[in-house]
Amino acid sequence: MILLISLTIAIIFGAGAFLILQRNLIRIVIGVILISNAANLYIIAAGLSRGEPPIYPLPEGAQVSDPLVQAMVLTAIVISSSIAAILLALVYRLYVSHDTLDLEEISRAERRAAERLDSGESLDDRESSEGRPEREERP
Amino acid sequence: MTLLSLPIGITWVLGTVLAMLDGRRPLVGWLSVAGLGASFVSVIVLSVTVVQNGPLEMVAGGWPEGVGIQLRADVLGVTFALVSSAVIFFALVYEVMGGVRSRTFPAFVLFVNTGLMGIFLTGDIFNFYVFFEISMVAAYVLTGYRERDYQVRAAFIFAIVNLIGSVIFLVAVGGLYHLTGSLDMQIVAERITQAELAPTVSIAAAILVAFGLKLGLFPFHYWLPAVYVGSHASVVAILSGALANIGGYGLLRFGGDILPEVLALGAPVIIILGTASIIYGALQAVSRRSPAEVMAYSAIGQVGYILIALGIGGPIGFAAAVLYAVVNSLNKLLLFLAIGLRGPLVGVAFAIGAFSVAGVPPAPGFLGKLALFRTGLEMESLANSIALVTLIFLGGALSFLYSFQVYQRVYMKPDQTPPAPPMQTDPFSAGGPNKPSPLAVRGMVVVLAALVVAVGVWPEPLLVLSDGAAAVLAGGAGGAP
Repeated sequence: MILLISLTIAIIFGAGAFLILQRNLIRIVIGVILISNAANLYIIAAGLSRGEPPIYPLPEGAQVSDPLVQAMVLTAIVISSSIAAILLALVYRLYVSHDTLDLEEISRAERRAAERLDSGESLDDRESSEGRPEREERP
Repeated sequence: MTLLSLPIGITWVLGTVLAMLDGRRPLVGWLSVAGLGASFVSVIVLSVTVVQNGPLEMVAGGWPEGVGIQLRADVLGVTFALVSSAVIFFALVYEVMGGVRSRTFPAFVLFVNTGLMGIFLTGDIFNFYVFFEISMVAAYVLTGYRERDYQVRAAFIFAIVNLIGSVIFLVAVGGLYHLTGSLDMQIVAERITQAELAPTVSIAAAILVAFGLKLGLFPFHYWLPAVYVGSHASVVAILSGALANIGGYGLLRFGGDILPEVLALGAPVIIILGTASIIYGALQAVSRRSPAEVMAYSAIGQVGYILIALGIGGPIGFAAAVLYAVVNSLNKLLLFLAIGLRGPLVGVAFAIGAFSVAGVPPAPGFLGKLALFRTGLEMESLANSIALVTLIFLGGALSFLYSFQVYQRVYMKPDQTPPAPPMQTDPFSAGGPNKPSPLAVRGMVVVLAALVVAVGVWPEPLLVLSDGAAAVLAGGAGGAP
């Protein structure tokens, strides 16, 4: 069982790491989600003890499995799901401003910005200094 | 005992309320400043109590001891809480004076504060992770503040790299729980001595990577320039002055307090990484032109000193690490706020920050360098002492050089108005790039510079805090102050 769980964690983590190295932004986000879920599984693995479910009233004298890992993983799952939401929002915002989901295109924009930085110009890419006004939210 | 929950609670509740209001209204902005101010005052009261009466503890939620989550304030925690809270406070005042441009900005700044206070005042390693994520997620959003293209890119880079760091830290927390069966820092520190060396070392390596990423240490620094150059001035001040403290505090707490034996074992690695950071950061900073870029690379170099002091360890080394971390936060706050501004008086504030980075008295940077020299002289082998003192001197000389290159380029051009720096020159004025910034903002930065000098001229409180923090670490988990 321990070997099986370790293998599962390794495969999920490996798949996540592979996806993070891809060019497509959505795949990168999925990679991050997979990696954080591999960490969740790893924590669950700390509680792989046999025993009664830890629900009151506890059976007399019986061994109870560890409830703490469940509580931890529940918290970690909530955190990783909200992080997935925030990453997807960031990807959407990148798509709106760059019209692409390709990491290469975005790093090209980053390189152009770095070159402009060296020659002492503004960091802005498409928007010139008096061109498009800053994006303002509606109240 | 409620005193312990105030720094976390005030900004948490207020942040939740403000998230529903429009942060661009001055009233909402000033409300957030008031809340953060109240939180800061409660941290000051807490620090005084802790320094005088020893560590405070409480169990959250009224649970019995051992079941509920421990909150614990010792001198190490309150020192970092104090400086981070001050940095966030000044950065928020700066932004509110200049005009907030996003609905959510004040609320997220309050959430960063909540997360940081939680990290510094918790006694539970999983709770540490949760607060860590609260402050990091708020910081991802803040990095994209103003939503220019390069700022959104910076936010994405920052989020992805730091999320990997967070996952590595979560794995380390899980590993510590595997080994010790507890999440309480004191119990973990006691039981870890009985654990086998191999798993402990791999957990310590994971912790070093996670916090090294936060600090922007040499091999993990690659995300830092893009983020620090692109982001808005007050956001960078929060990131480098307050959020980077997670890394310094985490290494001190987990290395010095929970895993002291592994820290002693890994000291050569830590010192080598620190040295590489100092040299790399300083050389890159000297070769860059734009002020923001110079300061970003300077940030990489400055954390190297903290790491070296940590690696040497002992009461003097830990005290130097704490002192340097605090001073570095103040320097970064002042410099990053000052380089965003234009107009008279700003140059003075920048020069004070630059003097402090270079370690010239009476700026507080001198104290940090002095503590490091003391650490160097305390080392056993003479050759190591000489090498370290030479390195610190060389680093100081280079930082003097790059700071004043920036000063010269930006402020010392009598024949022409200062050129537009590559960032959006003045974040606040709608006019041309060379129009001076609002007087109130400039006045605040000058006041801040005066406060930084005051810390350098009257360093006793800071020295009491850093020595107390070192005593906590050297005296074992949660030792007497």
